[in-house]
Amino acid sequence: MATILTKRLNKELREMQTHGLPTGITIVRADDLSEWLLSVEVLGNTLYEGEKFCLRFEFPHNYPIDSPAVTFVADDKWTAPVHPHVYSNGHICASILGPEWSPVLSVVSVCLTLQSMLASCTSKQRPPDNDKYVSHAPRNPKNTRFHYDDDTV
Amino acid sequence: MHYFAPQQSVATGDETHRSSSGEGMSRTLQLALQESREITPMGIAGEEGGTDRVPQSALFPDGTKNFDEDEEEIQVEGELTDVDGINPEMKLSDLTDAQIIRLTQDLQEEESARRPLISPIEPLSELAEEYATGSRTVVDKLSYLERIGWRGVRRTRGDGDCFYRSLAFSYVERLLLAPDPALAVAMSLSTLQETRHLLDEAGFQQLVYEDFYDVLVRLISSIISPPGPYEPLLSSPGLLAAFQDAETSNSIVVYLRLLTSGYIRAHEEEFLPYLFSPDTGDLLDTRDFCEREVEASGKEADHVQEMALARALNLCVRIAYLDNSLGGQGAEGKVDFVTFESEQEGGNGMHEIALLYRPGHFDILETRDTE
Repeated sequence: MATILTKRLNKELREMQTHGLPTGITIVRADDLSEWLLSVEVLGNTLYEGEKFCLRFEFPHNYPIDSPAVTFVADDKWTAPVHPHVYSNGHICASILGPEWSPVLSVVSVCLTLQSMLASCTSKQRPPDNDKYVSHAPRNPKNTRFHYDDDTV
Repeated sequence: MHYFAPQQSVATGDETHRSSSGEGMSRTLQLALQESREITPMGIAGEEGGTDRVPQSALFPDGTKNFDEDEEEIQVEGELTDVDGINPEMKLSDLTDAQIIRLTQDLQEEESARRPLISPIEPLSELAEEYATGSRTVVDKLSYLERIGWRGVRRTRGDGDCFYRSLAFSYVERLLLAPDPALAVAMSLSTLQETRHLLDEAGFQQLVYEDFYDVLVRLISSIISPPGPYEPLLSSPGLLAAFQDAETSNSIVVYLRLLTSGYIRAHEEEFLPYLFSPDTGDLLDTRDFCEREVEASGKEADHVQEMALARALNLCVRIAYLDNSLGGQGAEGKVDFVTFESEQEGGNGMHEIALLYRPGHFDILETRDTE
């Protein structure tokens, strides 16, 4: 049934393979249509120079009408970037992953947005409620209803 | 874009919230799952002199103002006891992730089962019955609509997509019932083909919109040529089934949203003074408005989006305002229609598209009172 999902992800993959990925972004794993991993580096003179992060995209059956669940991988191998909108469990507070998701966004455009979010960061710190959130957080960040009102970071 | 401020969410079991609600899990979960939708009180004068869209109170029979909230209030109750190992006494933080996910899915399925994305026509008088103990003004207006020939209503689900879905359904139905369907379909396909330029100019990659475009074009083409071997031409029941199918229906909604966005972006100078955020009332720039208020799934349409889409599709769309105000032209019980017209609209004997607006929700007005 999920024909749009299949068509769209295959197209996105083909696009990445034929036209290449933006600087700093590489595919770690994209061998099925349920979960992709992409690495993100923030190049140039930023707070994250020399660091490399991994983004996990989990696609709902009605992607791209519904948003993917996007988290920074936080395990033995990867850590989530220290950023005011990124929890240590990898959950990200970004409006485009929630109520402002639109089907015109793609895996690559989400990676670029998050890369630019990191690039413009001026102070490396965790969200103030990190510990409290992480201790109660659902596995899937889409089950969290974030409050969002900060345009500045 | 803007980012979420890292404040505590409801679903994570915020202590203050949970204890203050005092209703245990069901209320907490309900809040967590509920997308509250606000009525958008922005008004641009309509082309007939205008009805400002101001929220009126008590427009729905049970006194709720907003259709969406109305639906979601109901969905939670009564369904919680049957989920494996979960009972209404439990708090959200007592549940495992698996239970929460299961519960979320169940509630979403329950919601889908409760009201189809779009329903068969029912007599307008049934809507009036729902207001029998409520607003007299609304009842009078409904009987006025019946008197001028709108005998039926086709309801859509109150999910924030109702304007786009209603318009899309009416648009395709109008082609299907046209005196000369072949001509109507050919003209429509030619218009739609042109709309792709708007999307290209707006900077949308072809790969992000073409699948949605294809769904709409395939449906319209199936009015005059079978979509595949052994497949029938589109019929009225087939049209209803297509719009009740989530993937087909939502794909078409997405295309119309992108088209609306493309049209607003291409006619920026005209729309710019009216691009307000319905939440804050602030003026937005074109890109922010289009991304947040048009392209984003589930965002309700207001005058700007309605006008843009009517023009992008070369359509004349009439919207009847079923609110508590007294009739606009002095006559009691009379209903204000706002008309969005396009210059090129020819008609070719096709029926008009008319939507019924109750604050926060759109349905379709029909001249028939049954399928």
